[in-house]
Amino acid sequence: MMRSLTLTLLLPLLLIQPFPPSPNAPANEGDNLIGVWEPSNGRARVKVEKIGAKYYGKIVWLREPNDPVTGAPKVDKNNPDEALRSTPLRGYRILKDFVHTGKNEWSEGTIYDPENGSTYSCVITMKDDNTLDIRGYIGVKALGRTDVWKRLQTKGQ
Amino acid sequence: MHAHHILLLLMLVFASTLHAQQDTLPAPNDEEDYSQYDDLDFADQKARGFCSQKIFGQSPMRFISVMWDAQGPYDLRLSPIGEWPVDADAPVAEEGRATYTGGLRLMANIPVVSRNNIIWQLGATYWDTRYSISPTSTMQDAAGLMPILAGRGLRTTGLNTTIFKPLNETHFLIFQGIADLSGDYFLDDMQSLQYLRYGVALVWGKRPHDRLQWGVGLSRTYRAGAINYLPVVQYNYTSADRRWGLEFLLPARAHYRRTFNPRSLLLAGYELEGQSYRIAELSTNGNSLEVRRGELRLRLEHQRQLVGFVWLSMQAGYRYDWSFDADELPGGRDFFRGIFGSQPFAMLNNLGGALYGQVGVHLVSP
Repeated sequence: MMRSLTLTLLLPLLLIQPFPPSPNAPANEGDNLIGVWEPSNGRARVKVEKIGAKYYGKIVWLREPNDPVTGAPKVDKNNPDEALRSTPLRGYRILKDFVHTGKNEWSEGTIYDPENGSTYSCVITMKDDNTLDIRGYIGVKALGRTDVWKRLQTKGQ
Repeated sequence: MHAHHILLLLMLVFASTLHAQQDTLPAPNDEEDYSQYDDLDFADQKARGFCSQKIFGQSPMRFISVMWDAQGPYDLRLSPIGEWPVDADAPVAEEGRATYTGGLRLMANIPVVSRNNIIWQLGATYWDTRYSISPTSTMQDAAGLMPILAGRGLRTTGLNTTIFKPLNETHFLIFQGIADLSGDYFLDDMQSLQYLRYGVALVWGKRPHDRLQWGVGLSRTYRAGAINYLPVVQYNYTSADRRWGLEFLLPARAHYRRTFNPRSLLLAGYELEGQSYRIAELSTNGNSLEVRRGELRLRLEHQRQLVGFVWLSMQAGYRYDWSFDADELPGGRDFFRGIFGSQPFAMLNNLGGALYGQVGVHLVSP
């Protein structure tokens, strides 16, 4: 009798969540990273998606899609691996292997700079729903550079 | 363990952090309709863009550098200490032949804040210049500068800070401040900070597109040895095919750049470098006798990636003596002579030109 009374009293409390999720928020907080983002230079747009348990970002748009010299679609011509130099830049994964490691933080991944063919360690911090701090670094975070990326959405949304 | 050993070790550690761009996943879906990404808006309508500090194809910026600089043989002719009018010919009191001039140069430039809307860097330098000199004649009134150079050498220890502030997507400001302590001191017997010499520069610039950046400004500099106030012109350009470019920061340096690939490039041009070196033994009565060393270096430099973010630089050229004269600064306080000033020199010295070389290892910036 006592047990059923306790359950009856506690059940409504258990059903009430102190911070109900917003209707637009993904079930997994890490999935907030998913979307289309624009780096500060505005030269590209990067779509972040989840594959397995990790997050990846590929180039989906280029302000200058064709090589100004050849006129052909841009390829990853600066890649140190000669075999990859003919890979089209559009569709190229430049963010790789990110894991949601903490509140608003994704790390353990890398960022690739097609301008010089270098890959850097990288940590992503979400400053607000529409702003990312992307820090590429060498060895230690102090030796790096932070770029601010902005979220994009379909016009008029 | 010496500082340069630690720096080299750090570079090797960082070199090992290089990641090759390897795909561990299936190729991205090429069936995707990429046109859907053409017409998008910022989710945050207040989002602002800022111009980058660099342009495409620019030679890499350096976090840490360890370099060795060496000059070939040349003749020195030094005057006695006196009051020598600017246009005068002073008598020669010491003559000799320098068979070696050179030493270690360390530089570090670490970003404290590195974001789109501001980049703030702190840097440090240490240059050590040693001399081997064979005297050929010494008069009775010789100041004795030659044996001081041979016995003690010259050093510069400095701190600097650079702030790059983009104003919007095309305009920017650069501020640089430098504090150098230069003289014939040793690290375990440092010179008083009273003799710190300061330089500043402020540049306003424009970056019309990803391959061009220019700016104009003013500087207070010791580049030519003595203090000077000069206009500054910055001009960085890369050709559309990225194969060549220009990197100017006038009057300090100007280079033509030939890019073989993003990991190998050649620079051809000049750099004007200099400091005001206090010579302790010749500084008397509370005054500071300072050698205004200014060198114009015409040079070729090859830069290439060694491994990962560690780059090698090899430089060769001709060192022209811009100034090796000396001033006596009353109470150690510097003065401005400029082009039109008539303050007399304490020494009027001449160095012959020399071939020189420099090799360096650098940890470069993303």
